[in-house]
Amino acid sequence: MSTSSLSTSSDDELNSNRNPNPNTKPIDDELSLASITLTESNGNGSVNVNDQNACGQVEVDVEGPSSPTSSGYAGERGSSSEGTSNSRIDDDDEIREVINDDGFVDGVRDARAAPWMPGKRHVDEDDASISWRKRKKHFFILSHSGKPIYSRYGDEHKLAGFSATLQAIISFVENGGDRVKLVRAGNHQVVFLVKGPIYLVCISCTEEPYESLRGQLELLYGQMILILTKSVNRCFEKNPKFDMTPLLGGTDVVFSSLVHSFNWNPATFLHAYTCLPLAYATRQAAGAVLQDVADSGVLFALLMCKYKVVSLVGAQKASLHPDDMLLLSNFVMSSESFRTSESFSPICLPRYNPMAFLYAYVHYFDVDTYLMLLTTSSDAFYHLKDCRIRVETVLLKSNVLSEVQRSMLEGGMRVEDLPVDPLPRSYMSHRLSQHRLLTDSPERFRESTVGIGGPAGLWHFIYRSIYLDQYVSSEFSSPISSHQQQKRLYRAYQKLYSSMHDKGIGPHKTQFRRDENYALLCWVTQDFELYATFDPLADKALAIKICNRVCQWVKDVENEIFLQGASPFSW
Amino acid sequence: MGLASASTACEGMQLCIFDLRRGQNEGQELDKILFFFPADLPFSTQLSVIGLSEGLITFTRIFSPEAACEVIEAERHSHVFYEAETDIWMVMVVEKSKESEAIWRIDALRKVLKEVHSLFRMFYGSIRAMLEKDPSGGLSRSHLYPFIMDYLSALQKRSPLDNCCWDLLVGKKLWLPSFRDCLKECGTVQMLTVGREAAIEVQSLVRVLESCAGNTPCHSMILFHDLLVSTTLSPDDTINLFTYAVRRLTPNALSSGVSSWSYLRRGSTSSHFVSGFTLAQSGSVSEQIYHSSDTSPSGDNGNHVTRPLQHGKWSKGKDGFLVTDTWGVDVGGMVCTTPTIWLQQTEEAMYLCPYQYKNLTLILLIPVSSILNREEGVSLVKRQVIENASLKILKVEEKLSKGWGGENAYHVSGYRYLLIDGDRNISRASPPGKVTTLAKESLLALNNLREEVDLEKSRLKYDNTGGEKDLEVCIRAKNNAWAIARLNRGKELYMVLEKASETLLYASDAFEKFSNRYCNGAFTLD
Repeated sequence: MSTSSLSTSSDDELNSNRNPNPNTKPIDDELSLASITLTESNGNGSVNVNDQNACGQVEVDVEGPSSPTSSGYAGERGSSSEGTSNSRIDDDDEIREVINDDGFVDGVRDARAAPWMPGKRHVDEDDASISWRKRKKHFFILSHSGKPIYSRYGDEHKLAGFSATLQAIISFVENGGDRVKLVRAGNHQVVFLVKGPIYLVCISCTEEPYESLRGQLELLYGQMILILTKSVNRCFEKNPKFDMTPLLGGTDVVFSSLVHSFNWNPATFLHAYTCLPLAYATRQAAGAVLQDVADSGVLFALLMCKYKVVSLVGAQKASLHPDDMLLLSNFVMSSESFRTSESFSPICLPRYNPMAFLYAYVHYFDVDTYLMLLTTSSDAFYHLKDCRIRVETVLLKSNVLSEVQRSMLEGGMRVEDLPVDPLPRSYMSHRLSQHRLLTDSPERFRESTVGIGGPAGLWHFIYRSIYLDQYVSSEFSSPISSHQQQKRLYRAYQKLYSSMHDKGIGPHKTQFRRDENYALLCWVTQDFELYATFDPLADKALAIKICNRVCQWVKDVENEIFLQGASPFSW
Repeated sequence: MGLASASTACEGMQLCIFDLRRGQNEGQELDKILFFFPADLPFSTQLSVIGLSEGLITFTRIFSPEAACEVIEAERHSHVFYEAETDIWMVMVVEKSKESEAIWRIDALRKVLKEVHSLFRMFYGSIRAMLEKDPSGGLSRSHLYPFIMDYLSALQKRSPLDNCCWDLLVGKKLWLPSFRDCLKECGTVQMLTVGREAAIEVQSLVRVLESCAGNTPCHSMILFHDLLVSTTLSPDDTINLFTYAVRRLTPNALSSGVSSWSYLRRGSTSSHFVSGFTLAQSGSVSEQIYHSSDTSPSGDNGNHVTRPLQHGKWSKGKDGFLVTDTWGVDVGGMVCTTPTIWLQQTEEAMYLCPYQYKNLTLILLIPVSSILNREEGVSLVKRQVIENASLKILKVEEKLSKGWGGENAYHVSGYRYLLIDGDRNISRASPPGKVTTLAKESLLALNNLREEVDLEKSRLKYDNTGGEKDLEVCIRAKNNAWAIARLNRGKELYMVLEKASETLLYASDAFEKFSNRYCNGAFTLD
C-alpha cells in the first residue's frame, strides 16, 4: 500500500510544463518546479512520497510504471520561526557589539557544545530594525525586477522596499554601461553578483576579502540552481515580474546551512573536497562496489560521511566538480526528510550541467553516512534501490561502515602527531598513522582531543592536492579550540588564499604573514598548496622546517587521507 | 569645440565636488554641483554621476553610519569617494583598462582628492565657509574651477607630438598615480637627513628668520632641493605647504618648463595615463558656465580669482625673494601683492614669503593681522631677513651642499623601498629612477599587497580598538621577486627585492638588515 503526496504549485504556468509521464527522458530544458521527493520508510517497503508542506494530499500508486511524481520540496519552512529568540546559539550572526574576540560568547566556551540551528532566524526583523542593520553578514537573492527571493535575515516580503533599492543600484550602474561589483564603506562591503535575471548581494563587515564573498554568492547561486536548474531564467523571460519565492518554498534551511558552512568549511573557498581518513583497503572495498554500481547506468555514486567523502565513482568521462559535491551534500544534509527515509529527488549539478535535472537517490546507512546515486533517468528509483541494497550488503560484509564510524570518532590528522624526528620520518609517521587509523583504542580518542599544538608552535594546517582536487585539514588543537577562534582562523585562511591567488598576477609562490593572532605560512606549487598556522611568536626558520615535515607526512599517509585514482573526477 | 573630444571626454576620468545640503528640491539638483570635470559633459550625465554617489552614500549609511561609501568598484570603473568637509563630497571616477596600465591603489587616488582639497583650503579657506558667504554657490564654483583645472593640468603630460602642432587634437594625457607609484606616498613629507652640526646651524637660522618680524609670532619652513630641512608649522600645514613648495617654489619647480607633481617627475614615462580629452577644450565651455553663474562678485578678490597653482607664475626677484603676480599687482603697478595662505589649525591668514638661495628655499609666514600697512610692512620684514639672515643662509646652504648626496642619496643598493612614519607624516623611498628598474610583476605584487595593508589599516580605524596594527607579510611572487610589508607601531616599511635568493629566510634577513641599518631597528622583531 502506498501513499504519496503531491504539492501543487502556486504557479500554474510552471506546473503546466511538467511532463506527466515520468518514464520519458529527464526534463532537460523545462523548469521543474521543485524537487520530486519520493521516500520509502524503512522496513515495510511502502513508498511514501512525503511532503510536510503539501497543499493537498494526492494518492498516487507508485507500484505502477508511473512511480515517482513531482512534489513540493520536502524541506520545511516551519523550522524558520524556531530559534528566533535564541541568540546564544548563533555562531555567525551576532550583532556586532556582541562579538567577543576571545570566543566566549555568553559564556559558551566551545560552540560545538551549542550546536548551530538550521533554518532562518530573526524573521521578525526588517530593514527598519536596528538589530537587522547590525547583523554582520547579510545575503540577498532578488530578481532583476527587484522582487525579493531570499534574505538570510528578516522576512523577504517585508524587505521588498530594500530589495528594490538593491535592484536600483545594480540597474543604475548597468544603464551607465557598467556592472557594479563592490561598494566599500568603513568596515562594510556590499558585494554584487548578477546572474542573468537573478541578482545576488552580500553585505558584510566580516573582514572576508571581496573574492571570498563573491565566491560565496556564486555558491549561493549554485545552490539555487541545484534546486531549480538554470531554466528558471525562462520564467523571467516570459514574465519579468515573476515571483520566484514559491519555487524555493521550504528551502531556507538549505541556504542557511550553506551560509553557515562559509564559516567552517574550507571547501567553500578551496574548491576542493575532503575525504574521511580510512585504511587504503577499506576505501578500495567501498570504491569497488560503487564502481560496480556505476557500471550499471549510474552517473555518479558517492558514499559520504557528513561532508567528507568515503568514496566516489563516476561513469566514464563524467566528472564531478568539488563545488557540486559541496552543494549536493549541503542539500542532502540540511534537509531533514532525507534522513528519515530513502529518497529520490531531482537535483541539478550547476557545474556539470546547469540546464538539466539529474535524479538523486539518497539513503542514510546511519546517522552520518549516506549513499547518493545520481542518474539521468527519472524512473530509475527501483534500480537505484537495488543498487543501494547491493552496496549496503558489501559495505556491511567488509566492515566499511564500522570503519567509517571509527574514523569519525578518531578524527583526522593532529598536529601533535607530526613526526618530530626527521630521520626515520616516513617510517615513523606511517606507523603512527597506522596506529591511529587502524587500532581500536577509545583511550586514544579521548587523549587526543585535548591537543596542545604541534612542534614549533604549529597549530593547524590545510594541505590541498591540486591533481586530486582534494584537501586535508588537520584537527584543531587547543590554541584554536573555540568556535570563534576557528572561525577567525578560517577567515585568515580565506584572506591568505585570495591574496595568494590574486587574479591579476597570481598565484604567488610563497607567503609568510604574521599578525597578533597567527604566523601563517603558505606555499603554492604545481602539485599542492599548503596553508599552515603557527603561534604568532613562532620562529620563522623552524616554522619552515615544520612545513616541510607536514608535506612529507601528508605524502606518507596520502593513501589513507585521499581518494586515489579518482582521476576522472578532476576537470 | 571638437566633437571628438566632447564624446570621449567622459571616457577618461571624472572628478566632481557636490554638497549634499544643496539642491534638495526637485528641479534644483544642479545646485548640488560645485565642480565637475570634464565640465562639457551634459548635465544629465553629471547629475547621474552625482545621483549614484548620493544614493550610495545614503544606502551605505544604513549599515555603516560611521563611515559612508568610500569606493564603488565596477567592472569598468572605480569611483573613489572622499568627504572633504561635512556633506561636501569629492568623487573621482577612473576608467579601468586592461591594455593600458590602468591599475590603481584606491587609497592613492583618494589621497589625490585629499591633496586637492587641502591645498584649496590653504589658499581660500573651507568650501563651507565660502558657501555660507555666498549661498548661491557662485563664489565657490568660481574658485574651485580654475584651481582644480590648474591642478589637473599639472597632472597632464604633453606627448612628444604636442610640439608639432598637434595641439588641437586629443594628444594630452592625464597622469594619475598607478601601481608604478606604489613605492611613493602622497601626502607625506620627505626629509633631508642632516648632521648634528648642520642641524644646529639650521636651528639658529630659524630663530633669526622668525625674529625678523619683531615680536610677531612667525612660522617658517626650510627646504633643500625638494627635501624638508625644518618646519615650525603644524603637521597638516607642513604637508600642505611642503606639497606646494615642491610643486611651485623649489629650484626644481621653478626651472622645469611644465611643472609637474613630484610623483610624476621621474620614471613617469611608464606611469598610467588617462587619455581622451584636452583640458583646454573642455575648459572653454565650462569657463563660460562657471563665470556666468558667478553672480556675486563680492568675494575677497572681486571678480579676480587668484590661481596659485598656475604654472610658471613664480620667479626669483633680485633680492632673492620669489615673486608672483598671481595675487594681483598693487595699484602702483610695480609691486606684486604678497600671497596669503590660511593655516589649517589656527585658521589664521599668513603672508607667504619664499626666499631662495641656490638650492635652499626658505618660507617665512607672517600673520596678516600683525602687519598693518600690508605691502609696506611685508617688505620691511623682507629687508630685515636679508639684513639679518643672509650670512646664516649662506652658511647653511654651504653645510647642506657639502653633505648632499645627490638625487640618489637615499638609494640602498639591492633594495627598492618605501618607509612611512605615519605619526610624523614622513616618508622616504628609493629614488624614482631606481624604482623604474623593477619588473611590472614585482610592482603589481607590491601594489596589491599595499592595497591589502590599506584595508587592514582602515579596519583598525573603524574597529575602535585603539591598538596599532603590527603586521608582517612576505610574498614571493610568480616572477620570484619578494614583496614585503611590515607595519610596526605606526611605521610602515614596504620593499621589493628582486635579486634575493629563493628562501624566505634570506628575504627576511635582507629585510632585517635594512631595518637595523636604516630604520634604527624599528622593524626588527624583538
